[in-house]
Amino acid sequence: MASTVSSARQRERTRARRRAFTLVTAFVLLSITLLFDILTGPAMLPLGEVSMALLSPTTTPQGMVSTIVWEIRLPMALTAVVVGASLAIAGTEMQTILDNPLASPYTLGLSAAAGFGAAVAILSGAALFGRTEWAVPGFAFLGAITGCAAIYAVGRLRGLSSGIMVLAGIAILFLFQSLLSLVQYLASPETLQEIVFWLFGSLLKASWQTVAVTAVVLFAVLPLLARDVWRLTALRLGEERARSLGIDVERLRLRVFLAVSLLTAAAVSFVGTIGFVGLVAPHVARMLVGEDQRFLLPLAALCGAVMLSAASILSKLISPGAVVPIGIVTAVAGLPFFFVLILRRGGGAR
Amino acid sequence: MSYHHVLSRRRFTIAALASIAAPAVVRAAPRVAVTDVLDRRVTVSRDVARIVLGFYFEDYLAVGGPGAHERLVGISRGAWEGWRNSQWKAYLSALPGLSDIADVGEVDAGTFSVEKVLSLDPDLVILAEWQYRGLGSAVAQLEAAGVPVVVLDYNTQSVERHVISTRLLGELLGRPERAARLADTYATAVEEVVRRVAAAGGERPAVYVELGNKGAGEVGNSYGDVMWGRLIELAGGANIARGRVSRWGPLNPEYVLAADPEAVFIAGSYWTNRDRAVLMGFGVDPEITRRRLAPYLERPGWQRLQAVRERRIHALYHGGARTLHDYAYLQYIAKVLYPEAFRDEDPLRTLQAHYENYLPIRAEGAFMVSYFGA
Repeated sequence: MASTVSSARQRERTRARRRAFTLVTAFVLLSITLLFDILTGPAMLPLGEVSMALLSPTTTPQGMVSTIVWEIRLPMALTAVVVGASLAIAGTEMQTILDNPLASPYTLGLSAAAGFGAAVAILSGAALFGRTEWAVPGFAFLGAITGCAAIYAVGRLRGLSSGIMVLAGIAILFLFQSLLSLVQYLASPETLQEIVFWLFGSLLKASWQTVAVTAVVLFAVLPLLARDVWRLTALRLGEERARSLGIDVERLRLRVFLAVSLLTAAAVSFVGTIGFVGLVAPHVARMLVGEDQRFLLPLAALCGAVMLSAASILSKLISPGAVVPIGIVTAVAGLPFFFVLILRRGGGAR
Repeated sequence: MSYHHVLSRRRFTIAALASIAAPAVVRAAPRVAVTDVLDRRVTVSRDVARIVLGFYFEDYLAVGGPGAHERLVGISRGAWEGWRNSQWKAYLSALPGLSDIADVGEVDAGTFSVEKVLSLDPDLVILAEWQYRGLGSAVAQLEAAGVPVVVLDYNTQSVERHVISTRLLGELLGRPERAARLADTYATAVEEVVRRVAAAGGERPAVYVELGNKGAGEVGNSYGDVMWGRLIELAGGANIARGRVSRWGPLNPEYVLAADPEAVFIAGSYWTNRDRAVLMGFGVDPEITRRRLAPYLERPGWQRLQAVRERRIHALYHGGARTLHDYAYLQYIAKVLYPEAFRDEDPLRTLQAHYENYLPIRAEGAFMVSYFGA
C-alpha cells in the first residue's frame, strides 16, 4: 500500500520534472528566437555592433545602429513576443471555458470585430481624444470588446452554456466579416489598401508604446488567471465534475471571459488580424504538457511567443527590405509544423 | 436556380437595351478603325459625340480642347471627385457642366454599371487599362451591344504608352494635330531628361518615395516599378524600393535607414478626413504641405539620413503621376538629383505652361514642394 502511494508520488514527481523541463526548453527557445529577431534585419548590421548597441544603449558610437536596434528592431521583436503570448493565452482559456478545441480569438469573431473597428476608423479618419493616431487601435479595441460583449449577452440568455457561447461567437464572426466587407466596398482604393494591410496583421506599427500597452494588459491579466489555474484545470474534467468540486462555473466562465477579452482586444488592436497563433499554440502546449493549467498556461504563452517571434524572423528573411505581413507568414509557415505535430502525437489535441 | 433567373433577366435587359442602342450605331456612319494600347482593333464613328470616360479626365480634356467635356455623357465620377477631390473642384468651377454628366460607377469599387452605360446611348467608351482588365466579361457585353470600347494607359508610365494613348485620343476626338503636339512635347521632354542625366554621369543617387496618405506615424506604400518608381529611375535615381516591392507596398523602416537615400519624395494629395496626411493639390497652400512633412523628419533615425542632412526632402502631387504632364514631375525629380544639369529648367513653370496651353484651369496650389524651400 505504502509502496504504491510512494511510487505514485514518484511518478508524479518525474512528470512534474519533465513538464518543468519542457517549460525551460520553451523559454530557451524563445530567448533564441528573440535574440535572432533582434540580430537580423535588412540593414545587415554586423553582429558585434548590434550586441554593443544592445548592451550599452547610451554609449554606442554608432548612432544609426543604436537607432535601428532600439527604435525599430526591439519594439517589433518585443511586440511579436507579447502579442504571441497574449493570443495564445486567450486561445487556451477560451478553449478551456467553452470546452471547444476550435475556440480562439479568431474563430469567435473577435479579430473580425477588431478589424471592423479599425476599418471604420480608417475610412472615417476619426480621432480619439483628439488624436488620430489613437483612433485605429482604439476603435479596434472597442470593436473586439463589442464582439465579446455580444457573445456574453447571447450566452447569458442561456445560462452561459458553452455551446451557446460558441455559436454566438461564430455568428459574431459572420456578422463582423460582412460589416467589414461593406466598409471595404465603400472605401476608395487607397483607403482600401490601408484597410486590407491592417487586416493582414503586421508588426510595422510596433513602437515602445505598443509594447508597453500590450505588456501592461498581459501582466495585469496573468495574475488573475493564475488564481484560477486549479479551477480551470478542474473544469477540463467536465462541467458537472467541476460543479461537484464546489466551483461556481458561471462565475469562473465570466471572470475568465472578461480577462481573455481584454487580452485579445489589446493584442489585435495594434498588430491586426493574426489568426493562427491563438488557435494552434494552445494545442501545441497541450500536446506537450497536458491539461494541468499550472504548466499549460505558461507553456501556451511561450509557444505563442515563439511562433510569432519566428514568423517575424521569417518575414524578414523572405523579402529583405519589404514588409511581408506577419499574419500571412504565421499561418503559411506554422501549418506544416502543426500537422507534423498532430501526426506524430497521434492526435493528442482535443 | 434564382441565380440563373437573375442572370437571364440581366441578359434580357441588355439585349433589350442593345436593340434600343442599335439604331444609333446604324445612324452613325462613316466609321474608322483605330488600334488601342492593347493592340485591339476597334471600329468607331468618325465623329464621336457621346462618350463615356472611365479615367484620365485631365488628359482627355487636354487633347480634346475646349468643348471636349460637352461630348461626355457618362464618367466614373468616383475616380475623379472621390480620388482627386481638389482637382475635381477646380475643374467644376471652370466647367460647371461637369456636374450634370451621368455617373456610370467605378470599376475598382465594383459599382460600374453596364446597364447605365448602355442607357446613355454612347458611341464610344474610353477606359483605362486597369479598368478594362477589372471589367472582364462586361466589356464583351458592351461590345455585343454595339458600343466600341477603347483602352488607354498612362499608368505604365512609359513614353511609348503615353504617346500611343495621346495620339489615340486625338484620333478619336478629331484633334490629331493637337494630340501630336502634346505627344511630341512629352516624348521630347522625357528624352531631354534622360539625355541630361546620362551626360551628367556619376553614380545614380539612392532615392526613397513614400505615399503620404497615412502621415509620418505610419509607414506608407513605396513604389517599385510603376508610377513614381518608374519616374525616379527615368530621372536618374536609384529607387531603393526597386526589387523589394514589385508594384507598391511598404518598406521596412530599417531598410530605409540602411539604404540611406540621398533624396526623399513624399507623394501628397487632397485626402479628406486626414489630419496627418501630406496635403497637396489645387488650392492647397504649400506651407500646409510643409507643415505635414515636418513629422517625417522626426521619425527614428531620419535626422541622420543623407537626404535630411543635405536638405533634399520634397513632396510631389500624387495626381501628377500617370498623366500626360508627368514629365514636369520627372523634370522636378531630375533637378533635385542633378541640380547642375537642370539649372535652366523650371519644372513648376513647365507644369503651369501645360495647364495654360491645354487646360481650362490654372495650376495653382501645391504640386512640387521642397520642405526646406527651393
